[in-house]
Amino acid sequence: MTAAIEVSGLSHNYGGTVPALEDIAFSVAAGRFTVIVGPSGCGKTSLLMMLAGLRAQSQGSIHVLGKPIPAPDPQRVGVIFQEASLYPWLTALENIEFPLSLRGGDRNEYRRRAEEMLELVGLHGFGARYPHELSGGMKQRVAIARGLAQDPPVLLMDEPFAALDEQTRMTMGHELLRIWSTTSKTVVFITHSLTEAVYLADEVLVMSARPGKIIDRIAIDLPRPRNYEMMATDVFGRLRDRIWRQIRKVDG
Amino acid sequence: MKPAAARRLILISMVILWELVPLTGLLPELFLPSLSSTLKVLWQDAAIYGHALWVTLYEVALAMAIACGGGILAGAAVGGLARLRILLLPVVSSLYAVPIVILYPVFTAWFGVGSESKIAFAGIYAFFPVMLSTAAGIQTIDPQFLLAARSMGATLPQQIARVIIPASLPTVFAGLRLGGALAIIGVVVSEMLTAAAGIGYLVTLNRTILDSPRVFAAILLILLLSIAYYLLSRAVERRFVVWQAAGKPLQPAQSTV
Repeated sequence: MTAAIEVSGLSHNYGGTVPALEDIAFSVAAGRFTVIVGPSGCGKTSLLMMLAGLRAQSQGSIHVLGKPIPAPDPQRVGVIFQEASLYPWLTALENIEFPLSLRGGDRNEYRRRAEEMLELVGLHGFGARYPHELSGGMKQRVAIARGLAQDPPVLLMDEPFAALDEQTRMTMGHELLRIWSTTSKTVVFITHSLTEAVYLADEVLVMSARPGKIIDRIAIDLPRPRNYEMMATDVFGRLRDRIWRQIRKVDG
Repeated sequence: MKPAAARRLILISMVILWELVPLTGLLPELFLPSLSSTLKVLWQDAAIYGHALWVTLYEVALAMAIACGGGILAGAAVGGLARLRILLLPVVSSLYAVPIVILYPVFTAWFGVGSESKIAFAGIYAFFPVMLSTAAGIQTIDPQFLLAARSMGATLPQQIARVIIPASLPTVFAGLRLGGALAIIGVVVSEMLTAAAGIGYLVTLNRTILDSPRVFAAILLILLLSIAYYLLSRAVERRFVVWQAAGKPLQPAQSTV
């Protein structure tokens, strides 16, 4: 399998002085689900912004699908943010169409594409609703649909479920896996939740506090499709515990 | 009783009181002419009042155009460019607190006693809230909106047209509503101070000759003009900012004037 994302020797300083990220190197094989966990302020989000071409790194290289990413490229990389960041003046369907409409082209075609995505995330019939008329979980579904609309091979997700309550969060994680399994995307997912990390990931990267370094990588070899019963197993507990000990160690 | 019904009741009783209080002699007609005598002079002098209303409307429209156009442009520049904001915003904000009406004599010296001085004065009077709220609207856009747009490949013109403008619309509208109201006040006040035409002029003219019904007829017209403006601006706002109105469940219930 080829690497969809290849990061090497990446360092970053805020304002040229404060070290934020130090010597980050990892690669993500195409079609894999990678989760990054780490304490607050460890630079996870900065790293994700760099993978999206939204921010420049001080040193090192990032290759996405074999090419550097100096600027956002929605046809290679889709980003899904915390809080969904949907546009409140657009309906759910118009939000999903937004990235397609930026490119111009046939209106009917991207409308059909947006309807398809709405269906995929389980929101058939909710296209005409405005974001304030949707629940938190539904908003994130729309955000996922918007991220998928341009069909980028790589999907970056920055704590997308952080604002949701525990039950919705579990449901959304499960839904995400269902959607992911039908699309064969490469996913990099940031979270604070260790359970979420183990439940979703093929591989978990653990980062240290500032300056952020990758201090452990843990392969999650639980079978797929995952189900909620797995959370009660010893294997699941051991994996979660291992991540927890790593994070606690660096937190002091 | 529902608030809407109560409001209607208050309005109706005020209208009835307006008619009854002078009729029963509780207040002399000089202080408060009855509604019927006010409406009677309005009917008799329909041509005079019609012309005055036309002059006032014309001045208000041009003042609003200056205030809205200039205010939105200046506000967009100040809100969008950090350097300009640091330079100008403190100055503009403190100018806003100055009672600009003290400058009106200067305006008459520059522009004469005709419509031009009213338009200039009311235009500047209304300019500040439009500019300040436009600047605030642009400044307070959720940075995530722009980050998301960039991640989806939006160019700068696309970010402006598709994100910045719609996102700042509610705040801009709030400024326009206030600015429009100030334009009406500015025109009427300046007409009352120095003028030869307009409704404000009729108020001053008739007050000096103690013709109360004619004063009140003019006041009634200004009142109706302000209410019409308020209803119109709310309707426009509702039409364009559907999402914002619905997002505020605690807004006061619909008023029925």
